Amino acid sequence: MPEEHVYTVSELSGLARERLEAGFSQIWLRGEISEMTRAASGHLYFTLKDENSEIGAVRFRSRTSAFSPVEVEQGMTVLAFGKLTIYEPRGRYQFVAMLLQPIGAGALQAAIEKRKAKLQGEGLFAPEHKKQLPRFPRRIGVITSSSGAALRDIVSVLSRRWPIAEVYLFPSSVQGADAPAELVAALDAAVRFSESEVALDALIFGRGGGSAEDLAAFSEEPVVRSVYACPIPILSAVGHEIDFALTDFAADLRAPTPASAAELLTPDAGEWIEGLRARSERMARVLASKIGTRSDRLRACLRQSLFRVPVRRIETVEQRLDDLVDGFGRRLSEAFAARARRRARAEDVLRLSDPNLPLRRGYSLTFLKGSMRPLRSAESIERGAEIETRLGNGRLHSRVEEVIDE
Amino acid sequence: MTIEEALAKLEDITQKLEADELGLEEAITLFDEGLTLAATVKEKLEASKLQVQQVLEKAKGAFTLDPLDLP
Repeated sequence: MPEEHVYTVSELSGLARERLEAGFSQIWLRGEISEMTRAASGHLYFTLKDENSEIGAVRFRSRTSAFSPVEVEQGMTVLAFGKLTIYEPRGRYQFVAMLLQPIGAGALQAAIEKRKAKLQGEGLFAPEHKKQLPRFPRRIGVITSSSGAALRDIVSVLSRRWPIAEVYLFPSSVQGADAPAELVAALDAAVRFSESEVALDALIFGRGGGSAEDLAAFSEEPVVRSVYACPIPILSAVGHEIDFALTDFAADLRAPTPASAAELLTPDAGEWIEGLRARSERMARVLASKIGTRSDRLRACLRQSLFRVPVRRIETVEQRLDDLVDGFGRRLSEAFAARARRRARAEDVLRLSDPNLPLRRGYSLTFLKGSMRPLRSAESIERGAEIETRLGNGRLHSRVEEVIDE
Repeated sequence: MTIEEALAKLEDITQKLEADELGLEEAITLFDEGLTLAATVKEKLEASKLQVQQVLEKAKGAFTLDPLDLP
């Protein structure tokens, strides 16, 4: 019976390493980087993974060469070139990368970052270039897909907030190979249309959410340059809150989503009504106090001129004057009040004012979700109802816990 | 007068009234004007429905407007 060879641990590890290295000495490996740490030594330790498996990997400092000009980051999918080996002290097999190249979204991101730096250097994102948005935009150009969610969202927000607006859609594909050229052409058409046909007050340029590749057209250089050169105030609204595109930086304002672009651009008719109510009441108060001041002055004047008249007569006359003056003031106030009330009933009081004044002072407006009418009573509000509260700065979206009727 | 003009005018009136530098007559006239303006604007806002049109350029500079009816 031949004697069985007994390996030591080191021996086995060494042998395994040799075989592994021989079999996988120059291979390409694709995976997503996770658990990346940059050691003080300059070596980069990370894990490469796909849906099912992962493998420990290292890029030694000495291997960090000019072949990897783009720095890699956690979450990037990379193409790694190197060999498979075993780290004998731990008996752990690992991939030693000589080359790391981001691919897919990672590479795209890197390319966009590079382009961003370049365009920034040219001054395309300079704050002093940004145009002021109009306060009351009437004619709004929208550059997006005619079939996308962005247009629907914009139209729905504008219908609710600012129905006097007119929307002009300049359709363009928003993703794919043709998208950059089409976007540039649509924006150009909007500018020429504004010059020769209907003057546009502002433009919304964007699309709904999608993958990084889907949004990439909005970071293409010609597109970004067109947005920068656009003579009409323009909002960039690409994807969701977390997404960004280079047009965001070149536009006069970045909106997190197409719907919020419509909100940022227009005043809210419902808020105007409330603001105006407060404001017209203040106007009435100013007038009332003016009338009061006049009455006092008139009375003082009369008292002086009656100085030499016998006291009793003065008293009588003064009293009559008081009656007259008060009567005058009262009648005038009443006339105003009546007129104001008549208007108020008929017209629901002045429609327009700065609605933010009372909000800034700490008052707030509450709406049932989807409603434009501010709530005035807790009555008829049900527990669990969704409400929106508008504050001087921002808004809250809440659910009703308890209804207290007083 | 457009709504935009009416809005600006209304704002101007409110500011003047609040500044309290006017004679009574003038203030009354302005107040009245403000109420009338506001009524006009409200009417216009309430009567308006958002208009959406698609702009197509058949040939360079030849634009056609196509009303879009979105839900």
